[in-house]
Amino acid sequence: MNHTALEIRNVNHWYGKNRVLHNINLQIAAGQIVAVVGPSGCGKSTLLRAILGTHPPTSGEIIANGHIITEPTRDVGIVYQNYSLYEFLTARDNVSFGLKLDQTSFPERIFGFPSYLRKRREHQQQAEAFLEKVGLREAALLYPGQMSGGMRQRVALAQALILKPKIVLLDEPFGALDESMREDLQIMLLRFYQENLLAKKAGLVPEYTILIVTHELNEAIYVSDRVIGMSRYHTEGHLGSSIVYDRPSPIFHPEDPRDFSKFVEQREELRRAVFEPEYIKDRNKYVTFWNDLATMANAMNAAENTME
Amino acid sequence: MIRRPIPTWLFWTLLVGGLLVIGLAYGRLSHLQTLKNPSQTIVPGWQGFLDGFRKITQPTGMPSNPKPSMLVTDMIATYWRLFLGLTTGVILSVVVGIAMGAYRWIEAPLSPVISFLSKIPPTAMMPIYFILVGTDQKMFTAMVALGVFFTMAQSIYQAVQKDVSDDAINKAYTLGASDAEILWEVIWKQILPRVLDNIRLQIGPAMIFLLAAEMIVGDQGMGYRIRMESRVLNISVVYIYLAILGITGLLMEWGLLILRRKMCPWFGS
Repeated sequence: MNHTALEIRNVNHWYGKNRVLHNINLQIAAGQIVAVVGPSGCGKSTLLRAILGTHPPTSGEIIANGHIITEPTRDVGIVYQNYSLYEFLTARDNVSFGLKLDQTSFPERIFGFPSYLRKRREHQQQAEAFLEKVGLREAALLYPGQMSGGMRQRVALAQALILKPKIVLLDEPFGALDESMREDLQIMLLRFYQENLLAKKAGLVPEYTILIVTHELNEAIYVSDRVIGMSRYHTEGHLGSSIVYDRPSPIFHPEDPRDFSKFVEQREELRRAVFEPEYIKDRNKYVTFWNDLATMANAMNAAENTME
Repeated sequence: MIRRPIPTWLFWTLLVGGLLVIGLAYGRLSHLQTLKNPSQTIVPGWQGFLDGFRKITQPTGMPSNPKPSMLVTDMIATYWRLFLGLTTGVILSVVVGIAMGAYRWIEAPLSPVISFLSKIPPTAMMPIYFILVGTDQKMFTAMVALGVFFTMAQSIYQAVQKDVSDDAINKAYTLGASDAEILWEVIWKQILPRVLDNIRLQIGPAMIFLLAAEMIVGDQGMGYRIRMESRVLNISVVYIYLAILGITGLLMEWGLLILRRKMCPWFGS
């Protein structure tokens, strides 16, 4: 019972005669945290902008919430690396901005004043609760100009996630942060993932589906439950970049030690598959996520059965 | 060394001393001029200023039917014209500037026209205004409004382009905003401090256009009075009018600065 958050079908993209994306197919289930890695110029940003809807693909379809994406909508959220907040709004108003835009209308804000004020107070309370979740309760009334880069990215994360879009795209979100901030934010993603697991256990649809683009292989494997590698280095489809790696990654608990030695082998496999020009002959060799998942589930069932 | 700090007492001494030197030098100049020609009015002394001030603040009209003094009439006339003109100009340029920054199909036809017209000195276009709008109140409004419009529309259009990134707009769409909401909630809010700064910077040019127009076709107003009084060498009145223009300019600038700090606390000063 996997709820599909996003589906990409046969997506190709050209810039003029230059082929960037080659036959991308991808299905992301609700509650997954998917990391996308690849050498620079491999079309990560092109794919991201296609999913966001600002630059729809030349051919193929991207579907969220039952609609083909042709323009940015509230089904797909985004956190940019820089300038990701509205500098004229406080942290709280930045977070509640989406609620305001989504749940009240222009005429209501002007003419329906009492009811609008009531809603506004509710939105602010929700925003404060979410800020507490990302550890920024005291910063509610600060403007982005008064916050550090790490705080700003937390607020941006809250701003995108509070609306519960089908999927939130993170475009190198921690690239400009120093190491300790980066770690804090990675752990925050793990916390959201834990909430997803709890929701799944309770039979609900998990709320936080995230696709994170990063150039850090360790970060990719550490924060995600699924790693996707994009590369031009495959025998099929000259020049166009495609998905050449798609496998589950180990799941860390926020309290676990950040032990990257746990996944040295996978990191090596990923590095070769994605960054070494001569390595991959068969484009689908490492695109095994759904099979791996089924195998893992079978193994787990088998283990449970033997325990009984 | 450049920007070496100086003690506070020295700073204030220099500040007050500078003003004092100017005052004393003027007094000396006026004294010497009066020795040469006791009836001179070109560099009036204190008595001259006092007489001038009395003249312009005296109620006019019959004792039974008193009318406001010259100064009050002129100030009301000039600043009302300034207000009408600036308001019209600001509203027009904000609407056009935002529209140009937001829609390519508006930007394309308008931007060459506006950048061309903004390079023509509005005072040089005065004859055109006289012909097109006449010489009454409407002319002053048009003069000021259009005088500031081209420059301001251009800088607001550039502020929209520069201060509002594509990312900010696309993100607003992902948060569920409509086009109208992006115009109002994102673009307008973001450029508001720039608009206030632009108004502040345009008060000076606006006054130039207005006073020039008043000197040519006015029948009241600060520009008209300055021209009339200088013709009869009533320089004390002229000086007082100039001082009032300076002080009002400072006050308006200060008011707009405070307004910007109040309305846009997020905007660095």
